Amino acid sequence: MVKVLVIDNSEVIRNLLTEYLTDLGYVVENAINGLDGIEKALSGDYDVVICDIHMPKRNGYQVFSEVSGQKPNLPFIMTDSLPDTLAERAVNEGAYACLSKPFNLDQVKKTIDQLLAKARTK
Amino acid sequence: MTLLKFANSLKLRTKFGIPISVLLVASIVVITSYLIDRQADGYRRELETSGETMIAILANNAESGVIFESTYELDEILQLLSQFEVVEYACITNKEDIILSEIGQALQGYEQTKPLYHDASDDEGHHNFFIRNEYGQEFIELSNPIVTRIQNLGRENLGITGGLDNSFKQSYVTEEIGRIKLVLNLETVNQSIAESRRTAILIAVVVLLITIIMLTFFVRFITKPVKMLVDITDQVSRGDLTQKVELDQNDEIGHLARTFNRMIESLKHSRDEIEEYNRNLEQKIVERTLELEEIQAQLVQSEKLSAIGQLAAGVAHELNNPLGGILGYAQFALEKLNKSQTAEETARDKGKYIRYLTDIEVQARRCKTIVQNLLRFSRSSKTTDFSDVDINQVIGDTITFVEHQLHMNQIQLKMELHKNLPTIQGDTGQLQQVLTNLILNAMHASPPDTEIQVISRFSPALGEFGGTVEILIIDQGSGISQENVKKIFEPFFTTKQVGKGTGLGLSVSYGIVKDHGGEIKVESKPGEGSTFIVILPVQKPQPASDNVSNELQTKN
Repeated sequence: MVKVLVIDNSEVIRNLLTEYLTDLGYVVENAINGLDGIEKALSGDYDVVICDIHMPKRNGYQVFSEVSGQKPNLPFIMTDSLPDTLAERAVNEGAYACLSKPFNLDQVKKTIDQLLAKARTK
Repeated sequence: MTLLKFANSLKLRTKFGIPISVLLVASIVVITSYLIDRQADGYRRELETSGETMIAILANNAESGVIFESTYELDEILQLLSQFEVVEYACITNKEDIILSEIGQALQGYEQTKPLYHDASDDEGHHNFFIRNEYGQEFIELSNPIVTRIQNLGRENLGITGGLDNSFKQSYVTEEIGRIKLVLNLETVNQSIAESRRTAILIAVVVLLITIIMLTFFVRFITKPVKMLVDITDQVSRGDLTQKVELDQNDEIGHLARTFNRMIESLKHSRDEIEEYNRNLEQKIVERTLELEEIQAQLVQSEKLSAIGQLAAGVAHELNNPLGGILGYAQFALEKLNKSQTAEETARDKGKYIRYLTDIEVQARRCKTIVQNLLRFSRSSKTTDFSDVDINQVIGDTITFVEHQLHMNQIQLKMELHKNLPTIQGDTGQLQQVLTNLILNAMHASPPDTEIQVISRFSPALGEFGGTVEILIIDQGSGISQENVKKIFEPFFTTKQVGKGTGLGLSVSYGIVKDHGGEIKVESKPGEGSTFIVILPVQKPQPASDNVSNELQTKN
């Protein structure tokens, strides 16, 4: 069972991703802001984290750097509304990918598939 | 001093009339009394002279009567006097002062007297006196010696020298043998004098009356044109420059009138010129004001665009989330529909599709609201078209845009919105611009993990006014120094780095709030944060709609 953590302050996006990824057969959990996200990412056992950049109480970059400091192997897919230096920075520092909003669901699926395939080959 | 003041307060006519009349009366009185005195003097002198002549003749005639002490003869002489009314009393005395003869009543109890014109004590023993008795009657008393000539029997007259001297003269000695006294009544003379005086006074009065009448006419003749001048001046000084002094005179007053007319003419000319200038000036002011308004509108607009630029990220983020939802649900539904083959599967998933479509609709509406909101904000409102504005709505709309940036800067937003806020008269876009500006400023001043409070509240009416709606924006940022607090509303004043701010935000905001009849207040302590208070008057007090506030309250 692949476990996914969705960290996004937008309820619409959380609901959409949860519904979609559940439908694909993943186990999905949500965090509603950066702080919540860090807590869950560190305590839970996830295979992938989908994290938004623009959030209250710690932005996406802060979540990534704090979590990856302790769990360097946990892959992060960043999402962002804008071409943002923070998202780029996260990718440069080891985040797996960056999806710019509004994203295609295909793209999300494809990215996760690629990521899992890569993890399996390792 | 007060007399001078009083004199100055008198009318011209009085000023002329009184001194001239006084001078006239004084001179008539002086001249008349002088003439009367002179005449009285003349009468008396004449009487005295006649009396002297008379007494001299009588003294001469009485010589033998006195020598022989013939009362009879003397009575006859004195009797001659009784025919003259003027003779009050006469007497003849001998050497021993015994009255030999007299007529009339001797004066008694009178008080002497003063000598008359001819010296009373001349060598020949004449005495003239002026007498006034106790009843005030006046008399002249003349007294003459009665003399006889006696042949001188001195030595030379006895021939001692006579033989040698061809020029021998018979020599006499004059000897006083008695006196004659004559008292003349001045009554008649005084009556004549009184008569003359009465006539003179009458003439003087008549002359005075005629003069005063003439003077009155004369003064009126002078003061009438002066009064006319005064009246016209009065009207001119009240601004009526159409007046003209109509005086056809060639004297100084006529000259004055003509000069005055010329003065009015040039005054009118100057005034017309000034009015013309004023009209031009007003025209120019109107033009410049229009230009300024144009520039102000441009300034507001460009500041607004600058704000929109700053908000772009937030707007994009705000739009992208619902768009992501729309896109995602649409794709998801499509994918599912393409996959599902059987009617049973489709029917089973119907509930899901309905939820997806509902979500799509909700999110599309959200996008629409954001776009409308943005358009409302960016709309150029050159002609301030005020309408009912719900301040809570404005705050909510503004927060939509800035929320993202606040999140980015890790600044918490806390809102306390008054639930029954009355609407105010205003322009939504402009007020949103003010709030955006103030919130972004607060954000720029705030370090991460601090809080910005946005509070709306209502201060109830005092008197007739509808009270005020106040918006407070409280940050925990760096604050503003005492020195800068005075300058923050000045155009182009900024503490931000070059390129980070225009320095116009607050001055434009201030202008907008002023246009709404309100004001912006600042309270700030360096290091502790700032509070900006936007105060907007409520023109028409009316009950606020609760549902809007509640909707906003639930947000965030």
